[in-house]
Amino acid sequence: MNENKPNGQPLIELRHISRVYLVGVEQVFALRDINLKIYQNEYVAIMGPSGSGKSTLMNIIGCLDTPTGGEYILKGVNVSELDDNELADIRNKEIGFVFQMFNLLPRASALKNVELPLIYAGVPKAERLERARKALMAVGMEDRMMHKPNELSGGQRQRVAIARALVTNPSIILADEPTGNLDSKSGEDIMKLFNEIWKAGNTIILVTHERDIALHAQRIIRIRDGLIESDELNHSRVVFEGVNE
Amino acid sequence: MNISESIFQAFDAIRTNKLRTFLTLLSIAMGVFALIVAGTIITSFEKAVTKQLEDVGETTFWIQRTPAIQTGNTWRKYRKRKPITYNEFKELKKMTTSTNIISAHSYTFGMTITAGNLSTDPDVYLAGAENNFFITNAIDVDYGRIFTEEDINFNRNVAIIGNDVLVKIFPNVNPIGKEITIKNQKYTVIGVLKSRGAVLGQSKDNMVIIPLTNFLKYFASPWEESLTISVRAKSKEALEETIDEVIGNLRVIRNVKPWEENTFEVETNETISQQFGSFVNFLSIFGFISGGFALIAAGVGIMNIMLVAVKERTREIGIRKAVGAKRRWILWQFILEAISLCQVGGVVGIIFGTLGGYLLGNLIKLPMHFPISWIILSVIVCTILGISFGAYPAYRAANLDPIEALRYE
Ligand SMILES: Nc1ncnc2c1ncn2[C@@H]1O[C@H](COP(=O)(O)OP(=O)(O)OP(=O)(O)O)[C@@H](O)[C@H]1O
Ligand SMILES: [Mg+2]
Repeated sequence: MNENKPNGQPLIELRHISRVYLVGVEQVFALRDINLKIYQNEYVAIMGPSGSGKSTLMNIIGCLDTPTGGEYILKGVNVSELDDNELADIRNKEIGFVFQMFNLLPRASALKNVELPLIYAGVPKAERLERARKALMAVGMEDRMMHKPNELSGGQRQRVAIARALVTNPSIILADEPTGNLDSKSGEDIMKLFNEIWKAGNTIILVTHERDIALHAQRIIRIRDGLIESDELNHSRVVFEGVNE
Repeated sequence: MNISESIFQAFDAIRTNKLRTFLTLLSIAMGVFALIVAGTIITSFEKAVTKQLEDVGETTFWIQRTPAIQTGNTWRKYRKRKPITYNEFKELKKMTTSTNIISAHSYTFGMTITAGNLSTDPDVYLAGAENNFFITNAIDVDYGRIFTEEDINFNRNVAIIGNDVLVKIFPNVNPIGKEITIKNQKYTVIGVLKSRGAVLGQSKDNMVIIPLTNFLKYFASPWEESLTISVRAKSKEALEETIDEVIGNLRVIRNVKPWEENTFEVETNETISQQFGSFVNFLSIFGFISGGFALIAAGVGIMNIMLVAVKERTREIGIRKAVGAKRRWILWQFILEAISLCQVGGVVGIIFGTLGGYLLGNLIKLPMHFPISWIILSVIVCTILGISFGAYPAYRAANLDPIEALRYE
């Protein structure tokens, strides 16, 4: 498990990816020339100062945004050429997002929130419920299923968001500052959960600017001004007590 | 997609923007109300006329100086026509060979009938009729008898009374042979009409029939008395031929030159239905226009509510897109919501419209019919309203950029 396979086919391959925003007449280079390969079951942390382009990169990897230049190959498919509907399909099937702001539907229960991606995947009602329950169980939220987001703590909300990201069995879990709005205890719990998810065979890409959080990952990529500054394996990985590596 | 969720969201929109939603739903309700009331009345009118014509049958036709229902400003056209006289009728009866069931009648409103110290309101319909009147117009006596040749020829003071009159002036008394007074003239009651209920809001039983000759002598209008001639053809097949003959004869009698138009109007079941049809159309157009205006105003309100809903739920739209909702799903969701919102107003309009129609119908004494086709129409109209005015807000929602939407506060 969780070994790098540099010779196999990468899950994600970014070739000369750039993303330019036009603000008035000025061009803002959020990403300049990103080249990156990420393999199945990697656990990657992306670090960098504010405004360095971390979120932009995540959005492109998550097919929420399209690059201005370069190619993005996801599971052998050139995603840069797909249209809006096909991108929606990819987001639905291959990507699970976890946001800093949780981004749950405020008026829907935890269960309904987790069900949502399955609705768009066209999964029938009974199966949907079954899978949403299982996902909530996997994040330890089985006794809060009917609670609305405003009846849950920040850490619980993020668990629901993680359950929603997991429920479609996506290829990649993308988390942009998932602990940014949490106290350190809940943050640690969430990181424990990510660790379990990774152990179960998932691929995780996580954005953070906290060193402590990044140290949970297996590989750390640093970016600055839209360029990759360093990309190395994490030799001082934090291991949770009682968990066999 | 998820219809129940859309309905839920529609109610949510109602909850969160009470006043605006209330005003919008009110105008939808008013529009639908106008449609349903007009519809209820029209349906009931139609049924009444159809029944009336069915009763009389397809072989009877009528000749009058002017058309039965006049729409538009045609009064000038008919003003110069001379009245149809009793002599013309007698002549026509003599000349016509294809049928011998020809009758003439005339009438006046607002008579008071008295017997002893009891009398009716001054609202009785008094008709003067020939004997064949009972055949051509499918009227019968319940008991007693109709006129004889002698009653007519000697313009005797005999009368046949309707049930409403009977109840008022002869309660619990056999009226046959009794005397009644109409405008100082005394008449002997010889029969009581079979009850025919009410048509177009008027009781058909609030009437008295006397011999036409007698009527013309005492009740004819002093300036212009024009008779209605009614003819019954021998069969449906012979109807056209009979009409042709009667028209020909009457043209001769009334000295109409070959190049001139008829100076009288021939009404068959069909022509009455047609005229009635145009009258109904006029009413429907009225209902449609007033309803339409309210509904357009409502549509603008719906659009407004939906635009606000899209704005308020920008983040939600971003979330949905992030987890894989396609444009058309978002589009459909908001259109469904707009439709649900319209249907809420529509249901209120249907309920009050149906009630209003019933009340109005009661007022003018029409037997009411549940306006099912108009209710269906209202539901369709509300759906179209939701689609057409929900489309733009839904389109805006569907085309939001997911990243921008997720960042929206
Ligand atoms: N919609 C936009 N329009 C214009 N410029 C943008 C837009 N989105 C991002 N940028 C710019 O692109 C750059 C990278 O932004 P990004 O959000 O990726 O940074 P980040 O690394 O996630 O920062 P943070 O740690 O603060 O979240 C920034 O300079 C930002 O101002
Ligand atoms: Mg960011």
